[in-house]
Parts: sequence; C-alpha cells; structure tokens
Amino acid sequence: MMATITATAQTREIQFTEFDLPNGLHVILHEDHSTPIVAVGVMYHVGSKDEANDRRGFAHFFEHLLFEGSDNIGRGEFAKYVEKAGGVLNANTTGDRTYYYEVLPSNQLDLGLWLESERMLHAKVDTKGIETQREVVKEERRQRYENQPYGSILPEVLRRAYHKHPYQWPTIGYMEDLNAATEKDYREFYKTFYVPNNAVLVLAGDLDSKKATAALTKYFGPIAKGKAVPRNKVVEPPMTGEVRDTVYDKIQLPAVVQAYRIPALGTPDFYAVDMLNRLLSNGNSSRLVKNVKDAEQKAVFVGSFSLPFEDPGLAIAFAVANMGVAPDSLEASMDRQFARVREELVPEGELAKLKVQIETEHANDNGRVSGIAHNLANAYTFLGGADKVNTEIEQYLAVTPADLQRVARKYFMPENRVVLYYLPLNQKN
Amino acid sequence: MKSLLLHPLVLASTFLIPAMTIAQVDRTKAPAPGPAPEVHLGGHKSFTLDNGMRVIIVENHKIPIVSAQLRFDFPPVLQGDKAGYLELVGELLTSGTARHTKAELDELVDSLGARLSGSSDGLYASSLKKNFPALMDLVYEVATAANFPADEFEKARTRLLSQVQARTDDPDQIADVVGHSLTYGKDHPYGEVSTEASLGKASRDAVYQYYRYFFQPKQGYLVLVGDITAQEGEAMARKYFGLWKGADVAVTKDAEGHDVVKDLGPVITGGKQPKLPGKTRVAFVDRPGSAQSVIKVVFPVQLKPNDPMALQAQVLNTILGGGVFNARLMQNLREDKGYTYGAYSSLDADRWCGAFSAGCSVRNEVTDSAVAEVLGEIRRIRTAPVTADELALAKNYMAGSFARGLEDPRTVARFALNTYLNDLPEDHYASYLKRLDAVTAEQVQQAAVRFLHPDSCTVLVVGDKQSVAKGLERISPTGRLQDYDANGDNVRPDPSEGATPAPAGMTAQDVLDAYIKAIGGKQAVGKVRDLRIDYTTSIQGMDAALTEYHKEPNKYAMEMKAGSMLLQRIAYDGGDKATMKSMMGEKDLVDADLDEVLQSAYTFPELHYADLQYAATLIGVVDLNGAKAYRVNVKTLPGGQFDEYYDVKTGLKLRRKENKTQEGGGFLQVVTDFSDYQPEGGVLFPRQVKQGGGPMAMTLKAVAVAVNKGIDGAVFSVE
Repeated sequence: MMATITATAQTREIQFTEFDLPNGLHVILHEDHSTPIVAVGVMYHVGSKDEANDRRGFAHFFEHLLFEGSDNIGRGEFAKYVEKAGGVLNANTTGDRTYYYEVLPSNQLDLGLWLESERMLHAKVDTKGIETQREVVKEERRQRYENQPYGSILPEVLRRAYHKHPYQWPTIGYMEDLNAATEKDYREFYKTFYVPNNAVLVLAGDLDSKKATAALTKYFGPIAKGKAVPRNKVVEPPMTGEVRDTVYDKIQLPAVVQAYRIPALGTPDFYAVDMLNRLLSNGNSSRLVKNVKDAEQKAVFVGSFSLPFEDPGLAIAFAVANMGVAPDSLEASMDRQFARVREELVPEGELAKLKVQIETEHANDNGRVSGIAHNLANAYTFLGGADKVNTEIEQYLAVTPADLQRVARKYFMPENRVVLYYLPLNQKN
Repeated sequence: MKSLLLHPLVLASTFLIPAMTIAQVDRTKAPAPGPAPEVHLGGHKSFTLDNGMRVIIVENHKIPIVSAQLRFDFPPVLQGDKAGYLELVGELLTSGTARHTKAELDELVDSLGARLSGSSDGLYASSLKKNFPALMDLVYEVATAANFPADEFEKARTRLLSQVQARTDDPDQIADVVGHSLTYGKDHPYGEVSTEASLGKASRDAVYQYYRYFFQPKQGYLVLVGDITAQEGEAMARKYFGLWKGADVAVTKDAEGHDVVKDLGPVITGGKQPKLPGKTRVAFVDRPGSAQSVIKVVFPVQLKPNDPMALQAQVLNTILGGGVFNARLMQNLREDKGYTYGAYSSLDADRWCGAFSAGCSVRNEVTDSAVAEVLGEIRRIRTAPVTADELALAKNYMAGSFARGLEDPRTVARFALNTYLNDLPEDHYASYLKRLDAVTAEQVQQAAVRFLHPDSCTVLVVGDKQSVAKGLERISPTGRLQDYDANGDNVRPDPSEGATPAPAGMTAQDVLDAYIKAIGGKQAVGKVRDLRIDYTTSIQGMDAALTEYHKEPNKYAMEMKAGSMLLQRIAYDGGDKATMKSMMGEKDLVDADLDEVLQSAYTFPELHYADLQYAATLIGVVDLNGAKAYRVNVKTLPGGQFDEYYDVKTGLKLRRKENKTQEGGGFLQVVTDFSDYQPEGGVLFPRQVKQGGGPMAMTLKAVAVAVNKGIDGAVFSVE
C-alpha cells in the first residue's frame, strides 16, 4: 500500500527542463497538455531591497512603467496585445523580486515571448507614462495602505524591525521619493537590473519543449548580457531588546501585532519557524485560533505568518480584539501560546497534523499552470534550484518537535520582537 | 530530456546559432498566432437520489485532491428584524454535532489537512484523495446532525457584533453594505443590513430552525470533483445521502400563506424587483479624514442568467469595465487621467434580482471629476456602438477566460450546477464560444440601452465630506447630497419624510409646553432644586450602576461604576469647563462633548432650548411603536441636531434620536427611549431609559429618584 502511494506521488511531481541561454537568462519549461493554455513568466531578481534609500518604492514603480511599451510597442499596447489574444497579464513586486506574467491560449505562446523579450530588450516610457503611473501608484498606496483600517501595519512594523537593511521600508515606498525620481534614475535601474543574467523565464502549460526552446531562443537570445548585478550586502544586526509602540488608526477594535525576526527563506530554521506559524494559526484547531479566539474569546481574528524574505525576515502575529477586550489582555493571551511552544515539546500527533496540512497545500499548489510557473521561478531564484518545487516539502516534513522548540526558544523571544498596539484615534490624548 | 540540459553548453560554444536566429525574427510586429487550439468542455456525471438530491460528479486526476460541495437551492430569505443571522449559519454548521463538539470537529478536520466550511446554503469541503472518505464522514455528519450549541452561538454572535462594529471603519465594506441597501432596498433580502440591534434579536433557536427547514435533500445538490472516479463518487453519494430524509419541521401558515416555523417565524423568501431611483441621486457616507473617496454607481437590473441577452450584457460589461485592462473605465480613469489604481464595473445576472455596479477609489481632489467620468462612460456606451476593435478584444478575452477556467475541474462542475439552478438550456456552456462569436456591436448597444441607467441610478461616495462635498453637490442632479450612515440609514432625512402635518398653527413650543405640563406643570418643575437618580444597568454582560446629579440652575455630574470600579465620571459646575474621568485617564471635554454636558446640565433642558440658542421645529405627527407622536427637530448651536418624539395623547417624551459623528469616522445613531413615567416630588420621571445604537447599547432602570434631598457640592467639582 505504501509503495503505491509513493509511486502515485512521484508521477505527480512537476516535470521540467531547464537551461541557460549564453546571455545568462535561465529558462525553465514545464509541459502540461490538459488545458490549451500556457503561462509565460519572467522573474527579475530585483525588489525594494535593491533601492537607494532616497528612491524607496522605485522597484515597484518601475514594474508599473514596464507595461508602458517598448521600441516596438506603443504606449498602452502591451496589455492590448495580451487581452486581444484572449490572455491575462499582471505583475507584482516584493522586497526581493519582480515577477511579470501572461497566461495565454497555447497558440499564442510566441506573442508572450515577443512581449517579454521586448520588455527585457528595450522597454520605453514617455513623460505621459511616467506622470500617469506616478499618480496611479500614489492611488495604489492610498487604497491599500492609507484608506484601510490596520492598513499601515506592515510599514509600521518594518520601520521598527529594521534600521540598516532596506526591508525597513515597504515595497510601495514613499510619495516623496516617487516624486523625486528622474528619467535618469529609470535608465540606470533598467540597465542594472533588467538584464537576462538577472532573470529567469518560465514557460508552463500546453507547449512543445523543443519548439518552445527554438522560439524563446529567437526572441531572448539576441538580448545582450548585462554587467554583474550589484547586490545589497547590508546585514541587519540582531535585535537587542523588545521594541514596543502604539499606533493610532481609524479603527474601533484595538489590534495587537507582534513581529519576530526570523532566519532567511530557504535556511533549515526557516522551515521550522514556518511550521511553528502553522501550529499557531493554520486551521481552527491551531493554538492561537483555538485558544485566543475560541476558548478565551479575546479576538475576532488571529493569525501568524512568516514573511519569506531572501534576507532574514519576520514572523508576524496579528490579532484584532473582540468587543470590550483590552489589548494587553489580548497580548497576554497570545503570549501564553508563544510561551507554551518554548516550554513544552509539541506532541507528535499535532506535528503529524501540520505535515498532512503541508502535503495538502503542496498538492493544491500544482493545480494551475500559472501557479506552477511562479513556483518554479521562485524556487530557482531563492531556494537554490527549480527542483525545490518537488523537494522543498521534505524540509518541512523533516522538522521534529525538538526543532520546533529550539526555534521557538531562539526566535520567538520577547527581546527579538516588535510589538505594536493599534488603538482607536479617539484614545489618543 | 538530457539533450536539453546540455543545450546551454552547445549554445555557448556556437554563438552562430543565436546570430542566425536574429535574422529570422521581425521584432517590429507581434507574431502571428498558431492554429487555434480546441477547447474541450469536459464531461460530468449526474443523477438523482430517491430523496430528490441531485448528484454531480466531475472526474479529474491531475492533482490528488477531491472536493465536495453541498448546495441547497431556495430563494433568498428575508431576515427582517433579525438581519444578520444568516451570517451565523455557516460558522455554526461546523460548530458541533450530536457526536462531536466544535473543538473535536476542528481537530478532526485539521488532522485530515482538510477544509470544511459552511455557508447559509450549504457546505464546501476538500482534502487529499487519501483523506477524502474520512472527510465525507464529517460532511455528512455536519450536514445532517449539526446541533448549533448555545454557547457557540453566543461566541459567534459576539464576534459578528465586533465585526459589525469594525465594518464601519472600512470604507470598502461601508460602500458594499450601503451600496447593496441602496440598490435593492432594505426590504429586499439582498439589501438587508445586519446591525447590533438586529443581531441582538437573532437567537440560537431561530438559526437552528433555519438550518433544519432549508437543509433538505429534495432541494439539495451534492457536487463531487477531482481525483475520484464516477463509480467511487456515486457509491459515496448513495452511502451517505441516499437514505437521508432531512429534518421533520412542523409548519403552520400565516394569513399571507407563508410557512411559519417555531422560533424562526414566518419564512418569507424572494423579493419584489426593486425600482430605479427615478432620478440620479448622490448618496454620501462621511468618513472624516479619508485619504480617498470610494465611489460606486449602482442600480438594480432585470437580468436573469437565462435571459436571451445575458451574454450580450457580459460583453457589454467587459468593454465598459469588467476585468480587462483595456476596458473603458480603466483606460479613462487610470491610464489617461491617473485618478485611480483601478476602475471596474459589474453587471450581474441573477435569478432573483440582477445588479449593476461601477466604481473606483480616487484621491479626494478628483472625486467629482471621477464620478462625472464614470457616469459619462455609462452614457457613452449607450449612445454609440462600440468599435470593432473593442468588440474583438472583449470577445477574445472572454473566450480565453472560458478556456482558462476549464483548467480547474470545479469550473465544469459549476457549469453543470448552474445549468440546473438557473434553468439554462442544456447546451448553454457547450454553445458558449459559438454564441459569443456571434455577438455584434449593435447587440451590445441594445444591451446597454436596456440594462444601463445613468440617469436613474445611485451614486454612492464614501469619503471625507468636508473635502469633497462641494464638488459633488455641483454635479448632483438634485444639487444636494443624501447623507447615510455606515449601515445605510439616511441620517438627515428630508424633514417631512413619513410625517403627517401637525394641526395648523401648532408649534414646537406648544409641544414642549405640553410636555412640561404633562410631567407636573411649570410650578412643580420649578420647585425642583436638586435631583439625584440612581440607575442600574448592564454593560456587555457586566452589572453597573449609574447616578446622575442635578443642582439648579445648571450643575451636573454623572458617575458610572461596576462594583467599586469607576468606569466614567463627568462633572460640570456650571462654568465653562467640564471634565471626564475614565479608565483612560482624566480630560477636559470640548466641542460636541462639552455641548452635550451643557445641555444635560439643565434638570429639564426642554425649558432651556432658547437659552442654549437651539432652534426647535415641529416636523409633524409620526407613528412610533403604535402611538402617535409629535416629531420635533432641534438644531443645536455647533451645527448638530437631534429629534424628539412626544406622545400626542399624554404629552410625554417617548424618544430622542441623535446622529453622533464619530471620531474614527461615520455616524453613530443614538436612539434613547423613555418609558414607565412615575411621580416623585410632584414631577414625573421616566423609570426606564433605553439607549440603543453603537457598542454601548443599554437599558437603565431608575431604582431611586430623590428630589430636593440635598447634594454634596463636591460631586460637581471640575478640579
């Protein structure tokens, strides 16, 4: 019986091929003919942590600008080509990388290759484009951060959790820096980071690997290799004590945020920390949800998740108080659960539960070609190889109760955290 | 595959290969597409169990996941004065059964790595194939034997109350809630708004009976999707639900023929097709300090999924603002003007009532311009045919979406379920691409004329009124804004709304005079030199005592305690300063808070409206809980106002209603009801004061009223 299950699992591994073009562009191909669609994704290894400290938000702003067109694509035409072909497109930026993708009918693969190679070869942006997108990004900032209750949590946490590392500012950046950016900044940024040797191209879906290789070589091969990409080597020193502060917001229910500094994505400890976060808040029987929200009724919402950053990141626990519950009482309730994982070994049965959750999540991850394309790009860029889409799960499954306790004692400590109370504005005197 | 892995080495040593390919690529134009791939819809198996439940099975073995959806089909339910209880059904479904407590169920579901979630019309569950049989045990148990434990009901209600409170902080949620209530009306199931008061009326028994009444196999669908064979699925469906009878719920009939269920009351479903507003109106919800205005243009639409023009309507919406980047709203408001991060529209077909909505979030300065542009685009698409280019893009995009959707096997199942639920032709989805291809620009315009109503719609704006009202008033066809609170209640209704005229010649002063007379007359009232009233109450389940002190001419103090713990103390010694002490510390009261104390400071403020420079107007006669009452509107000096209701027959004050601006934004409507008037020292005082609205709803019972018994002056001290 066991043998059958293993065999089944193996046939469902993501099969892929990969290679480098001479210009340094890494290419990953995954064939899946079940639906006549294909995902084209390009991940550039550049994010907000590559920004100068007076150009905060630049990587994301730049992502917007790279939809403006190229030498061969007029302003606004980029999206038109994709949608007219029956496809969708989008992009997103994090602290570490920028990802662009299209999902197209499979007979339009070449269109996707042409568009993405144009973007890499000679993207172009005019004044109208820059000025418009500057306003658009400002609206994005207002909509997502300023006009949302608790919307400022991430920026408020980051600026207290980091002092040297660029993770101290949010990807969306700050208005004044976006206003200050000039055309020269754009040219420099493009030349430095938007080069084939800083990118991975993933094609996933209904494609013929041989034909796709010929086609992508045609479009991407001629793009010149860039200079070696500079990397920001700032190391944030460890925290030396708890940072505690209060933020007043347009809210009625107070909230408590605890952000613990954790190791970088892909390190062995990261997986144990991530497991610990699941133990705390994945599912109704998880410890924070079961105790803080349900049994003690301190919160209407409680969650705990890790920010998977390339450099040491954060695990953020966030809870919104139930009616009439004071934040310190809510925090005490959360702290009891953190203390428990430090003091007691997690029972094997509870760990087994986490592992089946991970296994289920892993299976669900592979349901769509767009998701597979992204996961392959991410694994290649940050996890040490595309094959991690199949093997990363082993690092989760290898975590032991002793590992959980060890990382709890190492990272989930009061002196290693930022604590923020979010309080209603009318309590500000 | 090995040759491909070697590929880079080959390329690296023969740079001629890429050089050759350069010559072959013409970068100046987009590559031509290959032959169009065929789109396979994929099949499903369907059959009906003896109890009437229909089973739909879609087999797809790509990933080792199976899902089960249980769906009960019935018209939308009018919740009435218990609005919000439907939001509790889903959570309570998985909160305990005859066999398991909530904690046990949670543990079982998580141990399977599964999802199990309820809603007011069914359940959804999914897991790895190997855990699916165990998950089905739970699906069956929850669907047929949930027991809605009373303590879990109370917990869920408290959390929902908190969320209802928090909802008023979130401009998007406000826009959704108020948008729905203005689209459908609050008397339509889609337009009802849950509030603290309505949730207070929801009961565990009502929710439980709802579940028992509606979760019946005869109107049920079981949809199994994923890594399961049709045979396995069928065996499972029969094993679990084949013999299920559903709960036996006793019903009686009311005068209108509705089923009446014990603890739930009359079951009223469906709703009248809401009317269009007649003339475009601009509704506003104030959220002071907002960084953006959330704009929504909404109206109800008569559009069912099986309408012959449903597909044309979808094409129309795609061109106007339905998800494509090249849609007119997005291109105009974002790409041309830079007003917003995104502007969208939706035109939803629905069996019971369709709806249109278009909107965006924009910075304050361009709020009126953005509204004008949204309305302008809605008008433009009615008046001229869309271009061939736009039509081709929309159709191709929709065809592409259709194909992309099929990647998920649940789409195929959804198509099958929709076909049954919406009474669609059997080939509705099979013929989709062909029918889509045939849509013309003329048809799109016909759909626009039929479905879009830019001159009879509601423009809803949630934002900072101070910054944006002027501009909006200019573009409002009525020249004014209608103010709503975050629950969709009109906060400054047209003064005459719902009132019949008072007798000719009667004034507000007459009503106030009649009140003074009713409570004992001017002489008796004038003899009151000091007054102390002790109330008992309960605040969020905690017993509390509240004492009010008055000393003529205008000293005032109030003290609220829980046991020996002081919750709040307000003191005013008749000067120009009042202080408040609470657990948050002590502070001086200012602005509206101070004004409120100045007003409360009078033992009988009704005698002093003129001193306070308040302007009282008699609006008319209204019905209030079965009694006729004079409604008097009182405008206060700092720009506030409140309404008072005086019993026509007895002259006594029945209610006071005030909309308080909240610091966090929005309004809080505070309704205070006075009853059980009893004499003390020759004057009638209400022994029950009931205050509703907001988080501090409470009933005060006067346990002791002392007139002219002397009060230690220290209680009024502000130092």
